[in-house]
Amino acid sequence: MAENTNNNEYDVLVIGGGIAGEEAALNLANQNFKVILVEKDLSLGGKMIHLSKVFPTLDCAACITTPKVSETARHPNIHIFTYSEIENIEKKSEREFNATLIEKPTYVEDNCTGCQLCEEKCPVIVKDQYQWDLVGRKAIYIPFSIANPRIAAIDIDNCILCGACEKVCPADCIDFTQIEKKSQIKVKAVIIATGYNLFDAKIIKRYNVGTVKNVITSMQMERQLVPTRPFNNVLRPSDGKMPDNIAYVLCVGSRDETVGNPICSQVCCMYSTKQAQLIMGALPMADVTIYYINIRAFGKGFCEFYQQAKGMGVEFVKGKVARIEQGEDENVILRYEDIIKGTVQEAEHDLVVLSVGILPNTDYTGFFKNGGVEQDKFNYVKQTDELLSPALTSINGVFAAGTSTGPMDIPDTILSAGAASSETASYLRKAK
Amino acid sequence: MESPKILVFSTEKISDPAIDLTGLLKKYYPSTVYTIAIPCSSAVKPKWIMHAFEKGFAGVFIAADGTDCPFSEKCTENTGNIVSHTHEFMKEKGIDPARLKMAAICSVCTDPFVKHMKSFLKFLTENKEQKN
Amino acid sequence: MKNKIGVYICHCGSNISDYVDVKKLNEITAKIEGVNIAKDTMFACADSTQKEIIDDIKSNELDSIVIASCSPKLHLETFRNVAIRAGLNPYNYVQVNIREQCSWAHSDDKKGATLKALQLVKAGIERVKRSQALEPIEISSRNVVLIVGAGVAGMRSAIELADMGTEVYLIEREYFVGGRTSQWNTLFTTDETGEQVIKRLYKKVISYKSITLFTGAEIVSKSGGIGKFDIKLKIKPRHIKPNCELDWKKFDKAVSVCPIEVEDEFNFGLTKRKAIFMNYKSEFPQIPAIDTENCNRCGECVKICPEIDLDQKDEILNIKVGAILLTTGADPYEPKKDEYGYKTLDNVITLQQLKRLIELNDDKNLSYKGKKIKDVAFIYCVGSRQEEGGNTYCSRYCCTSAIHSAILLKNKYRDIRNYHINRGIRTYGKQELLYKESSENGDIYLQFFEDKIPTVEKSKNGATIKVIDILTTNREIELEADLVVLVTGMVPRKDNTIAGILKVPIGRDKFFNEIHPKLRPVETVIDAVYIAGACQAPRTIRESIDSALSATAKANSLISKGKIDLEPTLAQIDTSTCEWCGKCVDVCPYSAIKKVEKEGKQIAEIIESNCKGCGMCMPVCPSNSIQLIGYTDTEIESMIEALIS
Repeated sequence: MAENTNNNEYDVLVIGGGIAGEEAALNLANQNFKVILVEKDLSLGGKMIHLSKVFPTLDCAACITTPKVSETARHPNIHIFTYSEIENIEKKSEREFNATLIEKPTYVEDNCTGCQLCEEKCPVIVKDQYQWDLVGRKAIYIPFSIANPRIAAIDIDNCILCGACEKVCPADCIDFTQIEKKSQIKVKAVIIATGYNLFDAKIIKRYNVGTVKNVITSMQMERQLVPTRPFNNVLRPSDGKMPDNIAYVLCVGSRDETVGNPICSQVCCMYSTKQAQLIMGALPMADVTIYYINIRAFGKGFCEFYQQAKGMGVEFVKGKVARIEQGEDENVILRYEDIIKGTVQEAEHDLVVLSVGILPNTDYTGFFKNGGVEQDKFNYVKQTDELLSPALTSINGVFAAGTSTGPMDIPDTILSAGAASSETASYLRKAK
Repeated sequence: MESPKILVFSTEKISDPAIDLTGLLKKYYPSTVYTIAIPCSSAVKPKWIMHAFEKGFAGVFIAADGTDCPFSEKCTENTGNIVSHTHEFMKEKGIDPARLKMAAICSVCTDPFVKHMKSFLKFLTENKEQKN
Repeated sequence: MKNKIGVYICHCGSNISDYVDVKKLNEITAKIEGVNIAKDTMFACADSTQKEIIDDIKSNELDSIVIASCSPKLHLETFRNVAIRAGLNPYNYVQVNIREQCSWAHSDDKKGATLKALQLVKAGIERVKRSQALEPIEISSRNVVLIVGAGVAGMRSAIELADMGTEVYLIEREYFVGGRTSQWNTLFTTDETGEQVIKRLYKKVISYKSITLFTGAEIVSKSGGIGKFDIKLKIKPRHIKPNCELDWKKFDKAVSVCPIEVEDEFNFGLTKRKAIFMNYKSEFPQIPAIDTENCNRCGECVKICPEIDLDQKDEILNIKVGAILLTTGADPYEPKKDEYGYKTLDNVITLQQLKRLIELNDDKNLSYKGKKIKDVAFIYCVGSRQEEGGNTYCSRYCCTSAIHSAILLKNKYRDIRNYHINRGIRTYGKQELLYKESSENGDIYLQFFEDKIPTVEKSKNGATIKVIDILTTNREIELEADLVVLVTGMVPRKDNTIAGILKVPIGRDKFFNEIHPKLRPVETVIDAVYIAGACQAPRTIRESIDSALSATAKANSLISKGKIDLEPTLAQIDTSTCEWCGKCVDVCPYSAIKKVEKEGKQIAEIIESNCKGCGMCMPVCPSNSIQLIGYTDTEIESMIEALIS
């Protein structure tokens, strides 16, 4: 990590430490620009670091993200603030932005060695958000095994202030007196790489999420398939049974006017196809059925990947799922319109995965004091010259990377971040 | 019976990526195939090949750059010369020249690689049985 | 020889440990002579493990490390950096590939995989024992990029590089810039036309002193490499005198007297053009061209237009650049004769032809070959998503492009009815809105599966299409169309000689291939040769621009510093045994060996800045006097021994 520069001045503020923010920050840092990278979460890596393998090459996601994460973390030109947020940004003139940075308290000093002794002693158990609530964690915890920085944090809302962690910590780095820190920074350009949110399937009432057992989201399945997975196998939540008849429901929260998101999320078809292939590997006897409207296998190597899944025996059923209900033995009943047969059918599965779509993360709308960054009609950052300068936004000197401008897969996100870094570099050089 | 061992000389930019891709796509080949990656197939010394036979490898396979060679258009010719020179040495030592093979393996030639390995292994196994 | 070696065996989550008994491997490794530390780790590449390795190196004063994990192509640099940060020479690190070439390749044989992994690790240890500490070779680089192809991706990259302070040669094979985009009318998501987009880019390109544009130009040959390419260009004559003020009236007249008529490729053969031509009036550069291949030198045009010079010859130009960016684009798929009636039925055209047809047709009605068009049937996935052996890939842009054209038809002409005979519409992302709009326009969608493709037959008024529609329970539907539009995908450029000249790898779908779609998406295995846009895979304009701008960032950060560090893998001559024979000089592709006299003896000497470390000189040396650093006899032979042990 870089030494703090004079008066908190940097060339570029990158907001978001996911794969887009890292790629953009690294490109700029390699061109000798000073970068400040602000991540609101406890670790870098964004959503990608939590994935299992990635389509269509089936590389493990960790093998691709962690080197990028550590390269970012130790680059001498990049200064990182995790668990921090941007409160506001004010543009003074070209290449002159003032921003307020908030560092949230973790109640653990940076000299934490990640020994996890505190975790053992902490008496409080809550749901682990990094495992998408599949398992529990303590109130003091290392976010996840490959987190960067890999240091503990206290979840103060659930902490009972018993002090057990403080007593056991060998590095003496627990500090309950930490408070939120505000500071002013000056930058010359801003990159918005704030990523996306996942659709909350509870909004679709007819799917009865939360009341019907054994209905999970694709991210919960993703966690069951990663090498550092919580159960070391694919299990259904109600009784821990290994499922042998799994269904995927596509377009949950995408291409759906009724939930206000008419566009396609661009990745769900492929990640579901990927998960189906991985399930076939983990549970060789299981049947996997994917209920789809159209399979969008459009990228380089995607169509072949889809054919490969079909070849492995993944069942693709063209049909829109209308209702999800509880069946016997804690199984799940899908009512769906089978488009090829032209009839409404019922199917029973012992585990149902909802392939939830991508929604904009609108955090960026609150950043700017005088007139925010313009949004498009879906609340993504509006690309003001979409065809020829896809990273430009309505504010000169503010650039957008990755899924802040719309749904995108990982290869496209990396290219988009590359484009944002190029435009930023040119913008900065114009001053010289 | 232990299956015969094959030493593959692959090239870092062309044929070794193909062998990586073969594994990535889970296209299986015998586990007694071992690879040493070098910059170019025209750099294999006959001395190394002879050393491999001496130490007990049943076969040596040069996964050549062929026309994809990033270094020289003459790569196929040069590698071919190495093979024919080595064949001479092999004959002198009474080693069947068929135990040294070469074929061009392009950077995405996964199926040809597997095919070559399987047929070479089959040949070496049969050959071994005949001798015994 | 090293005797304090650290060995790390990676589980790679479960990618390795599911098939290779890592624990056992680790136990055995720990006992090998020279090994000081042997550890297994969940992810060797994780930051915490990297820190642990550094701590181990420092606290145990390790003299070398071996990491058995994935392919060195992914993480050799990652771990070399670990060594550097621990104060160890990076060349005292050896990576052993037990994933791609072991656990994944032998998942069917766990016992065999474990045994092989052990031998590979042993070979790695033997190799590292004999490794030499090396310093990278620093070479100077030119801050100049050659961009091949002046379509949207090429021109956009040129502008960005110029903005970043890099000099650019931008070459275009055609007489005019703009590539495919100049052929399209209104573009999706903006109301700009292809022409307008190209105009915007061209005006900007020519405003930079640091961009030199050549049209009608191709690469003839390449020598040199990263940082220092020497490129020979051939520039076709335009047959118009330089710096003349062209009189457009005279030009129009010259066109009219030209006796040569050839198929107009710009309009995909819908029209003819003369040997003296411009594809459209506002085309750039704003100078017509006479194509040498078709001109018969009759001289009629010269009589009208003295600015024409039929004696101009090919020009050869040598340029020096530091990096090369390929933005050569793609071709539309050309259907086979009689594929859905193509070229055998009068009213079957491709999507690209339709786009030109809309552009050329200004009437209130659309007509083709004199016939008024009312019912238009689009047949999708022509030339894409074919069976194994054909183009198995999806061409990505065509669903959106076809629907966009259908909407244009509706908006521009009266009484148009569109039928979309598709294999599942792939309007991904925000393009979904077009699909919605077209459905709301009343367009009819019919869907077929690949095993039951539609047929097109001649009928009285046009064509009859029969399709088994899965959206209406597999009913066979027969419909009449005045115009059948084959939605043809993208294929790699027909003429791809440049790939041969630059040795750019071609992927399984025949497009140029990147090193890794996520880690290094714009780089090729040829150092300092980058790819962007549709030459890499089918893409939309925006996606092409994203990749073009990514490539500019990478190229600029490589060459703009003036110097580049290269691998110090060089050939070395043993002067005591070399008996000059010259065989090594004959075989060296880089003129990197010369004859010198030392102590009264003629011997060979390596010119280090030219040597690329290919090793071709080694096997031809009759006295075995050449060793390649990193691949010496002792290293290779000890590895062979370890593998057979």
